Amino acid sequence: MRLVTLKARIDDDACIGCGTCVKVCPTLAIHMEDRLAVIDYEKCTGCGNCEQRCPVSAIKLERREEPKKLYVDPSKVDRKKIKELCKKANFNPEQILCYCTETRAEEIAAAIILGAKTPEELSLLTGIRTGCGVECIQPILRLLKAAGINPKPPEGGWQWYGITPTVWDIPEEVKEKYNKRGFYFDKDVELLEKIRDKE
Amino acid sequence: MNKPIKPREPRVSQYGIDPKFVKKRIAEYDGFTSLMLRDLFEDTPDVIYPSNRGIEAVEEEVRKSLEKVDMSMIKPEDSVNVCASHHGFTILGGEPYAVLLKVIRDVIEERTGTSNIRLRAGVGLRFRETEEYIKAFGLDKHYKNKAKGVAPIDEGIPIETEIGTLYGIKAIYDADWIVHAHNSDVREVHFHRQVDRAVKPFGMSYARIETRSTYHQNLGPRAANFTARSIFASDFVQSKFAFASFLDMSPVGVVGVDSDNDLYSLNDRLTINGCKYYGKIMTLLGEIDECIVGLDFPCPVPYVFAAGVIYANFTGANVDLYDLDEDLVPYTWYTEAFYGHNGPILENTPPVNPAIKMVVHNYAWTGYPSAFFSREAPTIVVGREQADHFNMDPQNLEYMTHSTIADNLDIAMEFAYNVTGTDKVIVFDGAAGGLNVSENLAKLLVEKAPEVNERVNKELLPKWLKQRGIDPKEVL
Repeated sequence: MRLVTLKARIDDDACIGCGTCVKVCPTLAIHMEDRLAVIDYEKCTGCGNCEQRCPVSAIKLERREEPKKLYVDPSKVDRKKIKELCKKANFNPEQILCYCTETRAEEIAAAIILGAKTPEELSLLTGIRTGCGVECIQPILRLLKAAGINPKPPEGGWQWYGITPTVWDIPEEVKEKYNKRGFYFDKDVELLEKIRDKE
Repeated sequence: MNKPIKPREPRVSQYGIDPKFVKKRIAEYDGFTSLMLRDLFEDTPDVIYPSNRGIEAVEEEVRKSLEKVDMSMIKPEDSVNVCASHHGFTILGGEPYAVLLKVIRDVIEERTGTSNIRLRAGVGLRFRETEEYIKAFGLDKHYKNKAKGVAPIDEGIPIETEIGTLYGIKAIYDADWIVHAHNSDVREVHFHRQVDRAVKPFGMSYARIETRSTYHQNLGPRAANFTARSIFASDFVQSKFAFASFLDMSPVGVVGVDSDNDLYSLNDRLTINGCKYYGKIMTLLGEIDECIVGLDFPCPVPYVFAAGVIYANFTGANVDLYDLDEDLVPYTWYTEAFYGHNGPILENTPPVNPAIKMVVHNYAWTGYPSAFFSREAPTIVVGREQADHFNMDPQNLEYMTHSTIADNLDIAMEFAYNVTGTDKVIVFDGAAGGLNVSENLAKLLVEKAPEVNERVNKELLPKWLKQRGIDPKEVL
């Protein structure tokens, strides 16, 4: 669950029309009009990516008059389906995927089962990926992949590029080569599977 | 009893409150003292900084260290990116690291003839942090306006590795050669577990969000450290890597400068030093039975530090963070992720250090998701301004939900003493050479130090090194 209390505001006089904010917005809330950035406040989650990367500091965060709640209630979705999807992606349904918003795997799974097909849609529905904007892209892509969905990154954007390997993908020869250097690949597989399978 | 060490001054930053709101420091109270590491552990190393040689000592040692490095691959017409990270600027006020970066640039130009040398300074979750340091230390001028901060959401490039495609920040690799300029301060032992510490920035501050998410979500708490090695070992990075130069750190300061064309050799040397120098003080802090914690340093909550140990490590001091047989330690993002609706998903998950009875948050920054800390340890934040500052941070919208507010430090301390019933206090205020504590806590630590010293030397250090495949006789 994410309570959106902030929104970005662009100073039109300072904006140089570079489009960096468009490329880093996780919910595609910004577009360019006449070489000026324009924000769709329905989509803005106040994550601050645009404010932090604007090269001329033309964007500020400010409080929303009315906070907005982003949440998909997993109890409204067949629990069996949620569990199956999470297990396929190697997650426990209660596992937290986003440390900033405390969004759990079950909520993202529920949103996917209800029809979300991209990281952007999932962010808009649940608020995941709208805190630090850094750490939770892979669990999202893993759950989408487990649901048979392979989304394409936003064209021309830097929001995300692609899915990356998990510990289950590490080739045996790589494990063999590095096992004595403290990486503990197989023991971490054991741990993650214990978490995944815990009722 | 010694006088307290002067805490690090508050710093002007968009991630912290205005320094004018930091009206009093915890170590200023009567009944506080400092414990010098040299008095606790006889084998504490000599340092070049801080010392009576001044900051010039760092400059001299960087030059001396670079003499043994081969730079012949860099031609006069080539471009070079000196890659740096935010963390270095938080050590000893940041000046030693800034000097390292300046001297590296000067020596490259002198030795190779190229002047196309750029500074690329990566960050964690505070995307403008190194922009602030670049200006504060005059690195923009020194690098002739070729210095910039880079962030994990900047434009990326794919990097093919032994385990598949990972992603780096394009601006880190947009030169013919890269130089890795870092430090060996252990900092996030809970994450890296002193495995491949010297390589880690290739999977973190030089990496895109996809790679960082791989580290923190896809591989597991120990295997995660392979993320950085797989990137560094890639043909792409190897084709650009020239050399590395590190401040060799200890909890009491800069021991020296270590530079090498072979990052793995450097890594092995620094692993030994990291386990030895920092392992003892971390083990000693694990002996504290009860205490109030003071946060009082210009860094995000987990990174405030004392005697080389960050608060996040102290929240896990009830477990041996260096012991790789410990899978989940009390705080990592894996551990945090594995808290279900009603607590840890696995029953045997170690709790946040039960010795922490209360946290007095006098001064610490935003820019790191810290709600876990205020949820798991009772926290009192000093000043409405600081509370408001946290409520405006998209990463910390829940931090104040689990905290209470005191109007000033006096009220916060009185509340903490009354509620906890302990007079043992440890302050994470950036003290160099030792740490500021209350007198009763000092007595406890002095009493426990000899046994810890012996245990680390005889039992723990050999085990830690063996787990990492390092034989000191071969490495040193």
